[in-house]
Amino acid sequence: MSQCTLRNVRFAGMATCVPKRVFHNIDDAPPQIRSERERLARNIGIYTRRLCPEWQTFSDLAFEATEKLLAELKWNKADVDALIVVTQSPDYPIPATAIILQDRLQLPQTTIAFDVNLGCSGYPFGLHLVGSMIAAGAIKKGLVLVGDRSGDERDPLFSDAGTATALEFDANAPPMHFDLNSDGSGYRAIILPVGGHREPVHMSHLIQHRDEGGYWRCSMDLILDGPAVLSFSTQRVPPAVEDLLNHVGMSKDEIDYFIFHQANRMINETIRKKLKLPEEKVPSTLRDLGNTSGASLPVTMTARLHEILSQGKHRLLLCGFGIGLSWGSAIVDVDTAVFPALIEA
Amino acid sequence: MVTIEQFIEQFLAAVDFQDQVELKPDTKLADLPEWDSLSALATIVLFDTEYGKVIVGPDLEKCGTVSDLYALMG
Repeated sequence: MSQCTLRNVRFAGMATCVPKRVFHNIDDAPPQIRSERERLARNIGIYTRRLCPEWQTFSDLAFEATEKLLAELKWNKADVDALIVVTQSPDYPIPATAIILQDRLQLPQTTIAFDVNLGCSGYPFGLHLVGSMIAAGAIKKGLVLVGDRSGDERDPLFSDAGTATALEFDANAPPMHFDLNSDGSGYRAIILPVGGHREPVHMSHLIQHRDEGGYWRCSMDLILDGPAVLSFSTQRVPPAVEDLLNHVGMSKDEIDYFIFHQANRMINETIRKKLKLPEEKVPSTLRDLGNTSGASLPVTMTARLHEILSQGKHRLLLCGFGIGLSWGSAIVDVDTAVFPALIEA
Repeated sequence: MVTIEQFIEQFLAAVDFQDQVELKPDTKLADLPEWDSLSALATIVLFDTEYGKVIVGPDLEKCGTVSDLYALMG
């Protein structure tokens, strides 16, 4: 898709929930890999992460975020027309988590509810999807729940979060601008290779071996081609951001904050430097909240900007990128939105 | 033009090894205990941001020594 603009869509509010459990990338790593972890943490910029305990799922976090958001918005649940969940951590392979949440949140059965299978790029796509329904006049109020439970004690990158964003019809709302892209030729760059129909689970996939850190691994684990992801992110994202700004005819000075997917420090700093953006306009949550996959834009907006965004008018450029490969940007004006502080559950 | 000595200095700063190593142009990358995926990422970023040269993972896999890396500058 080339760039597009949606009108009559108001960004009404956002809430973000992370697990209470804090995992320290260095201190909680096995002693034999702690020195290696120090170097890794320094370079990926991630020191602590939030990990769900065994019993907790992404949808539990998203549920807490949604309940808080709806209460603070004072929306009547009967008025919610759509509930779109953007996740790669569903409660079950099927049915869709969004439908389970429709009931759990006690939303009406008239709610449009389905899941979208996107990861780190997902937030702008979710906004565009629900925003399009509103802009088309099909619905008045919609929720986008974005996040994942992708954290794992073994690997230092991913952290868990669930988020909720509320959009509503408003004839006076400023326009939202989007640039959304896909490149399936890179699907192997980040992949869970086993468990789908191309490679169903077989007993042989479950055979585990210990890695150098003493962690058990098997072929059910996520495969991430670091150099490929880095090249993709640092080559595709800066021009996509420039393209969107050019399309809209805005300069970087007209954007108050640039919120990027929190991939890792090397990727994020390279993107920031290529776009020549000052650090103070590019908030980060990598250090304390890790890479929260698709939730990382809401996590960063909430954890770093919730007080600012709940007062006055601010223009944000939001940019997600990753698994797919998929990358999308949005320019969104946030005007006195409901923005509760980070929730821990 | 960046000399190989300057390159080695910038490379060592980029890969940020925990344990200090002395590098020569003919040092084999495989002999460096910390030449790993993180080093590969750091090297790709170094080439992109400092030398304006886009290299990818397979370019690095073909490099046996430090001077092979230097030669990627073209």
